[in-house]
Amino acid sequence: MAYLKAANISKSFGGVHAVQNVSIEVPENSIFALIGPNGAGKSTLLNLLSGIYQPDAGQLVFQEQNLIGLPAYRRARLGLARTFQKIRLFRQLTLLENVRAGFHIHQSEPFWKHLALGSVGRFDAEARELLDFVGLGSRANERAGALPYGKQRLLEIARALATRPRLFMLDEPAAGLNASEVDFLLDRLTEIGRRGITVVVVEHNMDLVMNVAHRVFVMDHGEALFEGTPREVQDNPRVIEAYLGGEFAA
Amino acid sequence: MSARTVGFVIAVLVVGALPWLLQAPYWRGILVLCAMNVLLAISLNLVLGYTGQLNLGQSAFFAIGAYVSTILVKTYAWNFWAASLAAVAAAGLLGLALAAFAVRLRGHYLAIASLGFAVITYQVLVNWEKVTEGVRGIYGVLPPVGSMVGLFYLVAGIALAVYVLIDNLVRSPVGDTLRAIREDEVSAASLGINGALWKAFAFGLGAAIAGLAGCFYPGFVGTLVPDAFNIIESFTMMAMVIVGGMGTMIGPVIGAIVLTFLPELLRDFGEFRLMVYGLALTLVVLFMPGGIVQAWRTLAGRQWHT
Amino acid sequence: MTDLLALVVQQSINGIYLGCLYVMVALGLTLIYGVLNQINFAHADFVTVGAFAAFFTVTRLGTKLLGLPDTAAYLLSMVTALGVGAGLGLAINAAVFAPLRERGDELRPLIATIGVSVLLENFQLWLFGPIPFQFDSPFSRETIRIGRIFFTAQSVLVVAVSAVSIAALYAFMKFTFLGKALRAVAQDRETAGLMGINPNLLIALTIVIASALAGMGGALLGPVLVLTPFAGATVIVKSFAIVIIGGFGNVQGTIIAGLLVGVIEAFTVQYLGSGLIDLVVFVLLLVMLVVRPTGLIAERKEENV
Repeated sequence: MAYLKAANISKSFGGVHAVQNVSIEVPENSIFALIGPNGAGKSTLLNLLSGIYQPDAGQLVFQEQNLIGLPAYRRARLGLARTFQKIRLFRQLTLLENVRAGFHIHQSEPFWKHLALGSVGRFDAEARELLDFVGLGSRANERAGALPYGKQRLLEIARALATRPRLFMLDEPAAGLNASEVDFLLDRLTEIGRRGITVVVVEHNMDLVMNVAHRVFVMDHGEALFEGTPREVQDNPRVIEAYLGGEFAA
Repeated sequence: MSARTVGFVIAVLVVGALPWLLQAPYWRGILVLCAMNVLLAISLNLVLGYTGQLNLGQSAFFAIGAYVSTILVKTYAWNFWAASLAAVAAAGLLGLALAAFAVRLRGHYLAIASLGFAVITYQVLVNWEKVTEGVRGIYGVLPPVGSMVGLFYLVAGIALAVYVLIDNLVRSPVGDTLRAIREDEVSAASLGINGALWKAFAFGLGAAIAGLAGCFYPGFVGTLVPDAFNIIESFTMMAMVIVGGMGTMIGPVIGAIVLTFLPELLRDFGEFRLMVYGLALTLVVLFMPGGIVQAWRTLAGRQWHT
Repeated sequence: MTDLLALVVQQSINGIYLGCLYVMVALGLTLIYGVLNQINFAHADFVTVGAFAAFFTVTRLGTKLLGLPDTAAYLLSMVTALGVGAGLGLAINAAVFAPLRERGDELRPLIATIGVSVLLENFQLWLFGPIPFQFDSPFSRETIRIGRIFFTAQSVLVVAVSAVSIAALYAFMKFTFLGKALRAVAQDRETAGLMGINPNLLIALTIVIASALAGMGGALLGPVLVLTPFAGATVIVKSFAIVIIGGFGNVQGTIIAGLLVGVIEAFTVQYLGSGLIDLVVFVLLLVMLVVRPTGLIAERKEENV
């Protein structure tokens, strides 16, 4: 039984078929990679899964719960978390505040306590733990917008983890990262997977994909092209053709 | 004692001493006005500073508080406090009603919709003469307490209490949620935050606080006319929030104090009050976007903190 | 012609006349929004300044200093108002929009121009006082009568001038290189930059054109308005209603909405009383925002994440 299942979903923008008739099944406790050339529709697919867009057609089921029609914030409450290709941090807030905001759905204190006492139930300790997890613990009181690019990606991961997701979607987490940062990211992704969180990752960095992914799903021109293990994908002639001249050849 | 407690004690002492430092009836009147402006600035800051909604209709909620409380007292002989409670509820509920559809609107559209709401409210006050007396106004409104000093203590005490409550709120997880929405609603949604709900909450709470300030205004002036709630009043509140430093708790309070007293000190030079507001608004946005608070922090070289 | 029909035609003409004036102002707002995604809240104060400039051109410069006849002085005043508006446009672009554009914030420029608006209004209050100025156009005195329909030569002038300027603007946007470049900037600033178009220059040009229209609108509106330093405030709220109803950044929508609001206003005055104009227009605005927040004619855009 698939953990997250999309059946025949499609989405067009002004006549352009960004995602066409795509079906995926993400198994539980796996790291599932979405790859494909630029404009293949990977990010759109992720936006459909996370609820930024609603599909024009098709079914979406997460743990036997229908997702169609649910806005993004409702899906987050079901255990779906994500990061963004174009980093979207709360730039004016501190790192700690960014991560704390991620605990929103786990608040249980009554409203009057917030009014009367202020900082109760802020998950400060848990937020610091998550910052430590991505190696940013010492910079908790710095402003998020002032962080270097690579660190911003890591902060976004920490913030999403604060929702305590069951399924974590990352949109090109390695984009703009240097080699040592990619190594660290790889290590963290493996660790996230080890903690029982299912991971869906859109990525261009093949090193990363081949090293961490259990299943790889290849898209091209908005459609499914191939699905298999990393090794099968590497050997598949159609995939190689789609990538010819692209980053895969490099 | 924590720094907050020290600050609170100092604020109480200053409020207690002010009417005796400024004994002239004129200046005591300005003190009451200042306390009301502080309440209004806090109310707008909650909406503009913490959730990033440009609400140009705050004057309308101020007006609703003033008119509902006064009409209940004058026409229906309600007790002042019961009438005020009803007025605050009315302002808050109307705020929620406007927010219910306005939260779907982004930036400029919300600004214009709230401006439209203020225009409509003003026009209703002018035209619904049976109830509001229109431009003739309602005369002989009595304040809830007899003396100017008493009125100042009352309004300043309420402003202080509201400050403490809202300060608690923005330090709480609710504050994190509101700031997150202000910074980026899409990624807030990815964390499970229902942006529309929380924006409406802040909008409604801000409206209720503005309505609360409105309850004290007619008794202070003695008369109630629609012109007191012209759109320009929304802009003066905005100037206080911006000049002081929006998105901080103390900033708008400082802004309200500065922009209440500064024009009074300049009064000898003619009718410069609103020119000061306009100029301050533009210059601060251009050259000191974080307002007085940020300028002070920069000078004091303190670390960033919201 | 029946009484009712005559009344309807008469009010429609009055409405179109008013609508043309509103279009002149609202079009500027929409043009600026189109290229810059910003609102100039002080836009309608440019109308007031234009009206005062025109007033003093007619009463002092034109008739007293140059000894022109009334009609020539009024026509000259339109040119002055146009120039003053253009100057204000240059100034606000240099002072507010250009410096704030780098920061990519949608609220700050709006707040800054609200400050400019408050400043301009109260500066004029200090200069001219609160008592309304009597600004007569020589063309207002001449009445034209067709059957039972009356209108003044001024309304013919207003409709003609605004029709010509709107047509000129339209032709400029559609057929000249600069106009095409403007539309390119409106659609996509980065691509326009790649095409060798300097977006900053074009944005400045747009603001100047928009402001010049507003200034000239002042010369035309002056005789209609109660000319006080706050005259612009009543125009700006209606202009906002018009750009929202027409769809922000949409030129055709703005023209249609402007005429519509003018006609609605004329009939409101006839049937409900002049005190209710703002109420009617703004209820319409709020309804519009609920039903179709993108305007009368508009395409949907999905946010790119």
